[in-house]
Amino acid sequence: MLLHIQKGSSTPISRQIRDQIREQCLSGVLKPGDRLPSVRELARELAVNVNTVFRVYERLASEQLIELRHGDGTYVLPPPGGDDAGLAEQRGRFESEFDQLIHRGLLLGLTPADLKARLNRALRSAARAAK
Amino acid sequence: MSESVIRVDGLRKSFGGPPVLDGVSFEVRKGETFALLGRNGAGKTTTIRILLGLLKPDRGSVEVAGSDPQVHPLAVRSRVGYLAEDQAMYEWMTPVELCRFLQPFYPTWDAGLTDKLLDRFELPRQTRIEHLSKGQTVKLGLAVALAYRPEIAILDDPALGLDPIARKEFNRDLIDWLQAEGRTVIYSSHLLDEVETVADRVAILDAGRIVRLEQTDVLRERVQRIVLPIETARLLPRPDGLLDLRQHADHVEVVVDGIDAFLRDLAQVGIEGEPAELTLDEIFAAFVIGRPKGWPEAASPVIAR
Repeated sequence: MLLHIQKGSSTPISRQIRDQIREQCLSGVLKPGDRLPSVRELARELAVNVNTVFRVYERLASEQLIELRHGDGTYVLPPPGGDDAGLAEQRGRFESEFDQLIHRGLLLGLTPADLKARLNRALRSAARAAK
Repeated sequence: MSESVIRVDGLRKSFGGPPVLDGVSFEVRKGETFALLGRNGAGKTTTIRILLGLLKPDRGSVEVAGSDPQVHPLAVRSRVGYLAEDQAMYEWMTPVELCRFLQPFYPTWDAGLTDKLLDRFELPRQTRIEHLSKGQTVKLGLAVALAYRPEIAILDDPALGLDPIARKEFNRDLIDWLQAEGRTVIYSSHLLDEVETVADRVAILDAGRIVRLEQTDVLRERVQRIVLPIETARLLPRPDGLLDLRQHADHVEVVVDGIDAFLRDLAQVGIEGEPAELTLDEIFAAFVIGRPKGWPEAASPVIAR
């Protein structure tokens, strides 16, 4: 599972992890039946508090995106409701966050060219990370 | 909630001058990772030294693993692993020699575990400590502090002097060897970004007082920034938990501890506020150097026509 945690961000670590796993579940990067790393493994890999990871898993389980099988492991569930409403909602939220981000960049004095260059850099590094 | 293994109540300490600790109280629960945050001189190291019984408080009480460190310092130290801020290790020894030297002092010393830790931390066994890197020295300190399987680990600014990669590795080791094993960890730091990833709760220490003690997540939810037109601010009472107020020409920038209540106040005057989340660094700064003075006064009444 590929997660990217940004330290020192204004988005709390727990939400970064939660959103990324949720997005991967809803978009199908993580498929129903896939096994997630154990809490301890993921905590170690990300160098993040064990309880934080545990709470993220519990929260995702309460949203019925994943299932914690005691003594067995954590598995991805089929998307709730079987429709794409969750994904559409996530994408909608992403779009509004993206718009806000662009707006903030402009307020901070970045030019459209700066922002485009930054987007391209981010896309390249995401592509590299996905390999 | 589980029992507290560290209890600190009303600590005061001065070294002749103004108090270094001025009424510090907190409890740390079993299995919790608790961070003391503060700038240099805030009182972190003094607190830690009192916990270990290395310093005597002027006032207040301390209990660590059921004992008072002033009365039973050895009982406390056998149950606490301690990584000092700038540990003066025996530089002429090699890691293996250091372990052999320390072992007899600790009845619960686990030689097998020590061996495993030296391997895991990739420490050269036959290199003199003076030739180790800063990161390696800290890891050796951690290995030694873990070797007797203490139930509590007290780490004084372990990330000091480590580069970002070494800090991440150190955090991993801390999570793997302490947190995942259910040990209690109390550590001090001035590097907030590191703390957020690791700590369950944080205490912000400033000038010898704890100005805020909260779960890391909760702190991030409660403390937020909001920008308002100055006319809007004038309609509202000064918010509770105001940490920082900056007045600009036509708007104010406000950091509030308790954003929900403030948003409700705003809603009452028909305004939907858009708060912005802060980094832990910004939250810390708001508590420690924020200027919560004043509040835009209601405009002078318009003269009736």
